[in-house]
Amino acid sequence: MRITAAIAGGIFGLLGAAGQAFFHVIPPPAYGICIACHMRDLVNWIAAHIFPIYGLKAGGAIVIPGGPVSYNFPLLTIIGILIGAVIAASVNKEFKWKVMRVWWQKPWAEFFLGILVMISALTFGGCPIRTALKAAYLDITASIGLIMIGVGVFVGCQVLRKLT
Amino acid sequence: MDLLPPIASIFLGLIMGYLGQRARMCFIGGMRDYYLVKDTYLIKGLFAFLVCALAGFILFQFVSPAIKTFPWFLDGGAVFAKKWAAMGVAAVPSSILPVPGDPITWSPKAGAHIILAIVGGFGLGFFSCMAGGCPFRQHIMAAEGSKSAIVYLVGFALGAIIFHRFVAPFIKAILA
Repeated sequence: MRITAAIAGGIFGLLGAAGQAFFHVIPPPAYGICIACHMRDLVNWIAAHIFPIYGLKAGGAIVIPGGPVSYNFPLLTIIGILIGAVIAASVNKEFKWKVMRVWWQKPWAEFFLGILVMISALTFGGCPIRTALKAAYLDITASIGLIMIGVGVFVGCQVLRKLT
Repeated sequence: MDLLPPIASIFLGLIMGYLGQRARMCFIGGMRDYYLVKDTYLIKGLFAFLVCALAGFILFQFVSPAIKTFPWFLDGGAVFAKKWAAMGVAAVPSSILPVPGDPITWSPKAGAHIILAIVGGFGLGFFSCMAGGCPFRQHIMAAEGSKSAIVYLVGFALGAIIFHRFVAPFIKAILA
């Protein structure tokens, strides 16, 4: 069976809900699937345990920047996604080293874009996937965030039209 | 230490990674394709995600105690504020928009959440559109061997540290 985006999106939605319901991925609610937040947990946890100066010690206890979420053992969704995608790419023979052609997607530019995306994602607590999950959880701010993502993409498309 | 969530999440990630690579799933890309070329293949994934997640939450709240805060805008805050108070964290939930979810949105003011959602959402959409895909898609492309996406992931991880060291205190100082 050919997997279309609609089928994959539906399965992701059910997985996100099931992750909260049955696997207790819930320091905050609607946390079943998130790329930016889970990456943040992983990075903060590793950084604070390797370089204790990063998690400023207050009275002997490690204080991990990032709030109570990051105190738990980090969620490993990122690792799973990378392994799963490598398996899928190699099984279907789609793995190939490549670099994007346009200048704003060359590696040096993508480095800064990555930093900016992460900062704006954490500003309101979620990558696009978790924003959609929170909107499905009937959170008003996330619904506003989802609409603003649409506006941002619209402006970005206008810039892309100018650049190309 | 409860190890169920990390172990479960690695398997969730495996399924997501496999399906995402096969379907070329991208949330930002769906909106971008719709604006630029009126292609609806990817944006169907976004709507399917919303519908299935909502259906999942509505169904699973009857079988699982973990979704007792489901209509999030009604009373979600109190339960989690108690839980986090037990962990020694002071979080003040708002009656309108329950807070404890994201570290920097601990302000009891509902307006602060909305301002952050507007600023962050716009930046996320714009920069992701320039980068050529949402963070999830970049992970998939990194696994497919795109060097741009691998460098993106390095910046993505570094952004978390920059955010918590420099940006979060700044935002807290502004919204305090």
